[in-house]
Order: sequence, then structure tokens, then C-alpha cells
Amino acid sequence: MSVNRWLATGNYFTSYKEEQRIFFTSLDRSAMGLLLLGLFLWPLFIQLDNKYMLVIDNILVAVVAVMGLNLVTGFAGLISIGHAAFVGVGAYTIASFARVMGENHILLTHAWPLMIVVAGCIGAIFGGIVGLPALRLKHLYLAIATLSFQMIFQWTINFMDFFNQGQTISVSRVTWVTGQVSRSQHYTFWYYAILGVIVLAGFAVRNLLRTRYGRCLVAVRDNDRAADAMGMHPGFTKVYAFALAGFLAGVAGALHAYLYRGVGVESFTLHHSISFLAMAIVGGLGTLHGSFLGPLAIKLLDLQVERLSEWVGNHLTIATNLATALKPLSFGLVIVLFLMFEPRGIANWWRIVRSYVKLWPFKY
Amino acid sequence: MSYFFQLVVSGIVVGSIYALSALGFVLIYKSSRVLNIAHGQIIAAGAFITYALTVMVGIPIYLAFLMSMVITFFLAMSVERIFLRRLIGEPIISVIMVTIGLMSILDGLIYLTPFGTENFSFPAFLPVTPISLFGVSISWTQMVGVIVTFAMIGGFSWFFKKSTLGISMRAVSDDQLASMSIGISVPRVFGLAWAMAGLSAAAAGGIIGNITGINFDTLHAFGIIVFPVVILGGLDSILGAVVAGIIMGLIQQFASGYLDGSWGLNGTGEVMPYIILLVILLFKPHGLFGIHEIERV
Repeated sequence: MSVNRWLATGNYFTSYKEEQRIFFTSLDRSAMGLLLLGLFLWPLFIQLDNKYMLVIDNILVAVVAVMGLNLVTGFAGLISIGHAAFVGVGAYTIASFARVMGENHILLTHAWPLMIVVAGCIGAIFGGIVGLPALRLKHLYLAIATLSFQMIFQWTINFMDFFNQGQTISVSRVTWVTGQVSRSQHYTFWYYAILGVIVLAGFAVRNLLRTRYGRCLVAVRDNDRAADAMGMHPGFTKVYAFALAGFLAGVAGALHAYLYRGVGVESFTLHHSISFLAMAIVGGLGTLHGSFLGPLAIKLLDLQVERLSEWVGNHLTIATNLATALKPLSFGLVIVLFLMFEPRGIANWWRIVRSYVKLWPFKY
Repeated sequence: MSYFFQLVVSGIVVGSIYALSALGFVLIYKSSRVLNIAHGQIIAAGAFITYALTVMVGIPIYLAFLMSMVITFFLAMSVERIFLRRLIGEPIISVIMVTIGLMSILDGLIYLTPFGTENFSFPAFLPVTPISLFGVSISWTQMVGVIVTFAMIGGFSWFFKKSTLGISMRAVSDDQLASMSIGISVPRVFGLAWAMAGLSAAAAGGIIGNITGINFDTLHAFGIIVFPVVILGGLDSILGAVVAGIIMGLIQQFASGYLDGSWGLNGTGEVMPYIILLVILLFKPHGLFGIHEIERV
């Protein structure tokens, strides 16, 4: 029987290996390839203003962070209300290096990929430490542990002279093979750098979920006693989920530090932790697509809210700080509404559309 | 030595307010196993309502205090009715996340009012000169605050020990299925738990507002400090909340009284509770008075 490699009419798996493939048809594979190609090539043809480029880079940094949050909250089922603090750990790793060795030290400007990995590792260490109570406790308590880590982080940064008491610590421009990245190229350069990180991280996460370690996470989330009975160690699995999330958060933090060429505590507050959670929930907990769709949706919502409050501010005189009010309000509403009416997030809409197209003209 | 006793007294004052704030949190957790992350916002709302009623409407402060408790009672009840009732039976993780969303919503709503950014203070209605005893001074507001706090805590304990409603709430917290089978309406009990939590939160808010002035950041911080308190006391013990609240207040006052300034430390009182929280979670996760049925993983 000849197999149509491009279109599948159903599942004809004869082994578990086949079921675990990333791309089921050649169509999937080429669509992915085209998407990546498009993402890498479009800046060559369309010149965007730095302002818009920054927004796009911002979304991409959030994607990296939310991938981490999705690992711990989506796949392992542990609420983390301190994710911004882990991102902050990564950013402040870079800042500490800049503080100790001077911001133009060769490690920071030339060996920046190494620094990003180092920041990730420091984030992973902190993630592991905060996750340690998981050895004994269930998720309710872990949520509180992450919250208290958020508070300790904010205090440490705000009161230590070493961290400039939360004021901005500047980080210099980096050097690439073509020389120092100039001001006009900065955002485009980091677009490519962050996109590269996302592609790496995305494939890593996607593949992790095919291995025993990834399936361990999901098993522990769904029923930790059953997982224990099957020979997994739920406690260690949770600690390691936290460490992985901390790694991705640290990487995101380092990227944030380089992108903004500075680190200040105001980017890593409790409010940001909640907006990361909002992104993960809106995108769809426990899906890889969700990590991309969530940040996109929330950041766009954020922009629209900002615009709206600016517009209202122009027409009404009372509303001086409307943006500070409307942002948390919209985040909260989005979280609550999605949890109440579409707990599986935007990723579920994507799944519905996909299966409709795939099965057309049949209903199911 | 009088410095020490001064710290003890202010620690007890702060601690008893922590206890009152934690009380509402424990009520909700005890009956429905929901961590209410938005508790600080409800406390803040209570303080704002009290202030608005006293200063803007002109009602006498004691009456306003009671009225704000009643208003917050219904506010919290409707929050439960609108957002949490339909989530009964959903996994607990999504219920907790709904309260996180709720926190954000309430934040936004509070920022829409002038209370979100500006500072207010209650008009003085008690004698301004502090009571001084053996070199330790305590202001009248603090004194009344502590008395009201202990009266409220006593009232709640009585409610849970003796009244039918309180006993049915305890039954629900013990075993939902069994209490349903003897005719207790579990959703109603959840609503009532939220309402009582709102009531105690409003009382806490009113007292904090009188002692420290109305500032959203301060009030909000009281909602977050509830976590170390309840973890120390054991998540579902009212006695634990009271004892741990006072211990936490003392620790905070001692930390900021003795540690600040030495070794370049500052604001240690703010961070100490959270460090203690992490340590407790590692070594004695069920707290001082919590029941030991925490599921080990």
C-alpha cells in the first residue's frame, strides 16, 4: 500500500515510535520550514521602525520566559507566582558581571552567548532551590514558596547597594563577527539572536516531551501517586521542572538585559509574574503552541490597552493614570475569563481550526 | 531594656493585625481549600470603604467601620458567587489561578479610584497623646485596634465552636461528601466562608488604615504577609493564625529593630517573614498547629 506522505486521512500507527514523531506528514514539515524561513527572512524585506522592532523583540523574550513557565505550570502542574523573579535572576546575573568587571568587559561584549547560558544556569540553580520544598509538599505550598521568592528577590535588589538599589545598571552593546552592533541595527540583531534561542529552546522542549523525562513531568502532574508507583520520583521531578523553568527564565532575563542594554528591578515585579501567568493561561497551559500564542496575544492586548488609555486621556482630563488601572484589570479579566470559558487557551482554537482544515470536507 | 519592651509591644500590635488578616484567609482555605491570593485587595477595599464612608459621606467612624464590614461581607460573597461558584469541582490549580486573576482585577479597579495612588489618613477620633507605661508607649489607635482584633478573633472562635452555621462550616472542611449527605449545602458554606473572610478583612483594613494611614501599597503588603503567617501557623488552624500572626509581628519588629543599620542591612523586617516562610516549608511544612495530613509526595 502506498502511503500519501503529504496528507493523512487518519492515524495508521503501527508502533509507538511512529506516534511520537514530531511531524506526521511532509505537509507539517514543510509548513514548519516555511514558517521558520519567513520569520528569519522578513526583516530583509520590510524595514520596521525601531519602536515596532522593540515590541516584536519584547514578545520574543516573553516567549522564552513563558516556555519555561509552561514547563513548570503547564506540564508539571505547579503554579509559579514568581516567574518574573527567575527572569530577574538571569538579568541580574548579566548586571552583576557588568558591575564587577565593568560593562565593557570582553566576556560581556564578545562572549555574550556564553553569558546567556551562564545566566540560564544561575536561574536553574535558583529554580532548583525554590523548588526544594517540592520534595515534601504539594502544589499549594509551592505556589506560596514561589511567591515568597518573588518578595525576597525584590527586597534583595531594592536594598542592596551592589544592585544599585533597583536603579538601572547598564549593559553595553555586544560585538558580533561584523564588529560592534550599531544603534540602528541593535533591535534587528537581537531579533535574530532571540529567534535563534527560541528555535533551539522550542525544539529542545518539544523533544523533551518525547523523552522519559518529559513524560515524567506530565505523569506527575496527572497523578503523582500513580507516577510514584510506576517508579518515578515525583519530588525530584518537580524540583527538576523548577530548575528547567529557571533555566529558560534565566535565558530570557539575560536576553532582556542585552536587549534593553540595562537592568532595573521594575521589569521583574509581582505584576510581571502575573502577566507571565496570564500569557501561559491564555496561550494554553501544557502546550508548546501556547507558549508562542500567549505572549503574542497578551502583549498585543497590552498595546491596545495602552492606546485606549492614551486616547481616553486625550479626551477626558480626569484619567491621568488610566493605563496603570486598565492593564491589571485587563490581565485579570483575561485570566479569569479564559479559565472559566476556555481553560485550554488559544492553543485549543488553533487545534480546532487545524483539525477542521485537515478533515475538510468531512465534519470529523 | 525599654527599647526591647517597646519592640515587644509594637510587635504584638502589628502581629495581632496580621492575625486578623490571616483569619479571613484561613477561613476560606479551611472550608474550600482555595488559596485566596486576592486577600490583600479585599483588605484594602475594606479600608477604602471605611474611609469613604467616614470622610466623604460623613458617617461616624464606628458606624462606618461596621457598615464597611457589612458591605465587604456582601462584596466577598458576590465574588465567590460570580467567579468561584462555577469552578467548584475544577482542579484546584485553576481555582487558585482564578484568584490570581481576581487579584489583578481588583488591583485595576482600585487603581481606577483615587485610593490606588494617593495617600489618605483618617481624622483623629481618639486621644492623640499615647499611653505611657514603664517607658513603653502605645498610641490609643493601636490599643483600640488590638482590642477590636482580639474581640473579633474571640467572636469567630465562638462562631465556629458553638453556632450551627460554624459547625456546618467545620463539617464541610472536614469532609465535603459526608456533610452533603447530612443536608449541608456545600456551595452555600463556601459563599459564607468568603463572606466571613470579607468581613474580617474589612475589619483588618479599617484598623490598618487607622494605624498606618491609607496607602494601597501598605494595605496590599498586608495581604501578602498573610502567607508567611498562615504557613507558620498551619494553613487551616485559626489558633495557628493568631499565634503565628503575633510571632511574625514580633520577629518583624525585632529584625528591623536590631538588624537594620548593622552590616549595611536595611528593611530586614520586610523580608524576614518570607525567609522564614521558605525555611518552614523546608523543615516543618505543616506549621505550628496545622493538621499533619499533608500529602507527602
